[in-house]
Amino acid sequence: MQDLLYFCQQLINGLTIGSTYALIAIGYTMVYGIIGMINFAHGEIYMIGAYTALIAITGLATLGIAWLPLVLLIALICAVIVSSSMGWAVERVAYRPVRGRHRLIPLISAIGMSIFLQNYVHLSQGSRNIGFPALIEGGFQFGGDESFQLSISWIQITIFVTTFICMSALSLFISRSRIGRACRAVSQDLGMANLLGIDTNRIISATFVIGAALAAVAGLLLGMYYGSVDPLFGFIAGLKAFTAAVLGGIGSIPGAMLGGLILGIAEAMTSGYLSGEYKDVISFSLLILILLFKPTGLLGKPEVEKI
Amino acid sequence: MTKKFTKLALAAGVSAAITLPASAVAEIRIGIAGPMTGPVAQYGDMQFSGARMAIERINASGGVDGEMLEAVEVDDVCDPKQAVTVANRLVNEGVSFVVGHLCSSSTQPASDIYEDEGILMITPASTSPGITERGYELVFRTIGLDSMQGPVAGNHLVSLDPQRVAVVHDKQQYGEGIATAVRDTLKESGVNVVMFEGITAGDKDFSSLVTKLKQADVDYVYYGGYHPELGLILRQARQADLDAVFMGPEGVGNSDINTIAGDAAEGLLVTLPPSFDEKEENQELVKAFNEKGEDPSGPFVLTSYTAVQLIADGIEQAGSTDPFDVADALREGSFETPIGTVSYDEKGDMESFEFVVYEWHADGSKTPVN
Repeated sequence: MQDLLYFCQQLINGLTIGSTYALIAIGYTMVYGIIGMINFAHGEIYMIGAYTALIAITGLATLGIAWLPLVLLIALICAVIVSSSMGWAVERVAYRPVRGRHRLIPLISAIGMSIFLQNYVHLSQGSRNIGFPALIEGGFQFGGDESFQLSISWIQITIFVTTFICMSALSLFISRSRIGRACRAVSQDLGMANLLGIDTNRIISATFVIGAALAAVAGLLLGMYYGSVDPLFGFIAGLKAFTAAVLGGIGSIPGAMLGGLILGIAEAMTSGYLSGEYKDVISFSLLILILLFKPTGLLGKPEVEKI
Repeated sequence: MTKKFTKLALAAGVSAAITLPASAVAEIRIGIAGPMTGPVAQYGDMQFSGARMAIERINASGGVDGEMLEAVEVDDVCDPKQAVTVANRLVNEGVSFVVGHLCSSSTQPASDIYEDEGILMITPASTSPGITERGYELVFRTIGLDSMQGPVAGNHLVSLDPQRVAVVHDKQQYGEGIATAVRDTLKESGVNVVMFEGITAGDKDFSSLVTKLKQADVDYVYYGGYHPELGLILRQARQADLDAVFMGPEGVGNSDINTIAGDAAEGLLVTLPPSFDEKEENQELVKAFNEKGEDPSGPFVLTSYTAVQLIADGIEQAGSTDPFDVADALREGSFETPIGTVSYDEKGDMESFEFVVYEWHADGSKTPVN
């Protein structure tokens, strides 16, 4: 019974971290799916989302507004707006001018953008950890005896629910809406979509904006969950999310969700049953194994040679 | 290659020592290397504030044998790669003395360069024993060692009669070194150490670790590392209702841990150098800091002050600005400083240095524990 509870607790830990990896991974996978480039500045967009939310929360607190749903809503809206405009601007400034060139050029442009944004936040916000207020506190415990109980905090539940809502909304949007259909068309064949009258520039911008908006949601959630932000906040998370996207099959949206969850659970189980030291060893070995046997990732489709 | 280089540097140093007094350069340049930015910049502030104050006061009272001290400040971000870069920059700037670095993992690679180039280095903060264990002639410190701090922490834990203890570290030179020393002390006293595990510095999610600690039913956790990770562990432990007392080295003891952990920092045990700023004989110096609007109470402010003062005293004692002569003078003499009487052993470690256990509070204050 004890062991089962312990397993469940590690599963919950893994699912929490995994769902946020998934939220960030969407941004990588959508951009790759459409223009075939890796947006290395995406982790920084997520970090900027967390900072914006923090600034909004601090601002509201000085104004004396303390009603939790309102604070969260305003912080969320601010983070989404700032991050989305950042995502849009990054595409305009750093990627569009070099689109269609050799594939290394946009990649280097993306790495440059990432370094620029990181240092911009370093300079404007300072390099120290800044405390993020725990707006959603408490949780509940059940099962077991005095020594070990299963505990789920409200913030963990908020993370699951929000991720689930965002993912469902995104799936609906991609499969039903006009822009979603255009997205799919562009990802299948950019040139042809252009010929058929789809404004591909607009669709590509929309992709960056959607990815950035989801990253901003993750920024707010994880800022509250961890309780501190720093300018390097996006670096490791971005790397992990990118791994999740590749694991699930880069270019595939359900793949990013699956990849995020698998990576999160693998990490939690390794630190739970082996040792925290092996966490990254196991997750990256897993990635190599999957890529060896299925080079396109779990849900990725093999690229069809277009004649 | 290195040997040849050392000899060359030595020759250059000696010839410089012969030619310099004749050309009467009225300036002694001292490099100050530490983190101005990055996650542990707070400690860098302490270091720079202490060293600047010492330079100001020594210059105000006429300098060293009539020569003024001049600071060359560099930022190593507490990153070993950056430390090597800035060490080379100090070499190019032509400094002969360095106060720094702060993090042990930066001090170690930088000290290789200083030793090769004939530059005397005094670290005011690095406690890893490895730094002075390589037989270097020009490496000193004004702080104790992990091998002194670890037993203090370990013995304090033993005195609390713990049932089950977990020791966690960040896999870095400083953190793992001190965690190993604590574990060994605990084991020697027959304490049940149920876990010895590393985490990754820079990680944010410690929920799995916290669950594991809870499952292991520990009553005390020792953490070797710095405050950004421990702050998050404390906070996540509080969220998961983990009921254990945490303890850490001086790397976790600063007010940033309160920003991160919030109320969860209450009751944390920290081993720190004693509060030199509370000593009777330092009150005049403390007043000087307060007049500048700076706080002398941080653990590395007065150790940095002392490092600069020792360089000045060493030059006076040796009657030369040659780093090798100054190093000999430091090893031979004994010096009255704000951190007490300092004398060095062959390796460049202080012959005695005391650590004290403090209890940390949610408002960032601390009280000594006996």
